[in-house]
Amino acid sequence: MARAATTSDAFNAIAEPQRRRILDLLRGRELAVSELAGELGLPQPGVSKHLRVLREVELVRVRSDGKQRLYCLNAEALRPVQEWVGGFERFWEASFDRLDEYVQELKEEEGRDGD
Amino acid sequence: MATDEQTTDREIVLSRTVNGPRALVFKAFTEVRHLSKWWGPDGFTTTTRAFAFREGGDWDFTMHGPDGTDFPNWITFTEITAPERIRLVHGTFKGDPESFDQVLTFTDIGERTDLEMRTVFPSKAHKDLVVEKYGAIEGGKQTLGRLAAYIEKEGQI
Repeated sequence: MARAATTSDAFNAIAEPQRRRILDLLRGRELAVSELAGELGLPQPGVSKHLRVLREVELVRVRSDGKQRLYCLNAEALRPVQEWVGGFERFWEASFDRLDEYVQELKEEEGRDGD
Repeated sequence: MATDEQTTDREIVLSRTVNGPRALVFKAFTEVRHLSKWWGPDGFTTTTRAFAFREGGDWDFTMHGPDGTDFPNWITFTEITAPERIRLVHGTFKGDPESFDQVLTFTDIGERTDLEMRTVFPSKAHKDLVVEKYGAIEGGKQTLGRLAAYIEKEGQI
């Protein structure tokens, strides 16, 4: 796979439904943790935990505004997901699956020829 | 190598461990009778007009998608180091200005082979275009907006 073998990439971050809801809420506007918690109907510490994961993979950015910390979406970090969905990577992964299968056939052929 | 750190925003690197010795995995790239068995995802077939596996040689072929759509392809092999490396230029016709550079590296790890495909596009815009194009090939032209809509829908299930 092209993406890093880590538990903290965009793919893992958006695998969690609540985190996807957070990203949806942040589309086009900045929100504070309390506002997100209100919209989601979740306790604030839980929302903070999700935001930490999203920040680690740079899907959200944060800035201070007086006492508040405001979160916004960074859609550019979804690019690996878009590229995967977009087909180039999937196209080649599928080709390599078939290559792997075909190499097994070649191995059998060579094995027979060698006898 | 033509690639360096400067190309990261316009390249895509895919890697895969193939269950077979390097000589055999390399061989699967060297002849049409091999390539036609695996090139493209399930449901795709290829028709080859010309094929010459040598430096400067061309592979002129059409890919047929599962829905019957034809995709012209033109590959020129620019560097062949058997069984380690193949470098090629991949576009839709000879001299295609939107063609991209691909380097396939085969690393021997005993009975298995690490295969890396590094694709370097002329610019980030070209890369985005090709990613879009391949999306279209699979019948799912996705933009960030549509992806977000999909995520939203899935999130509600």
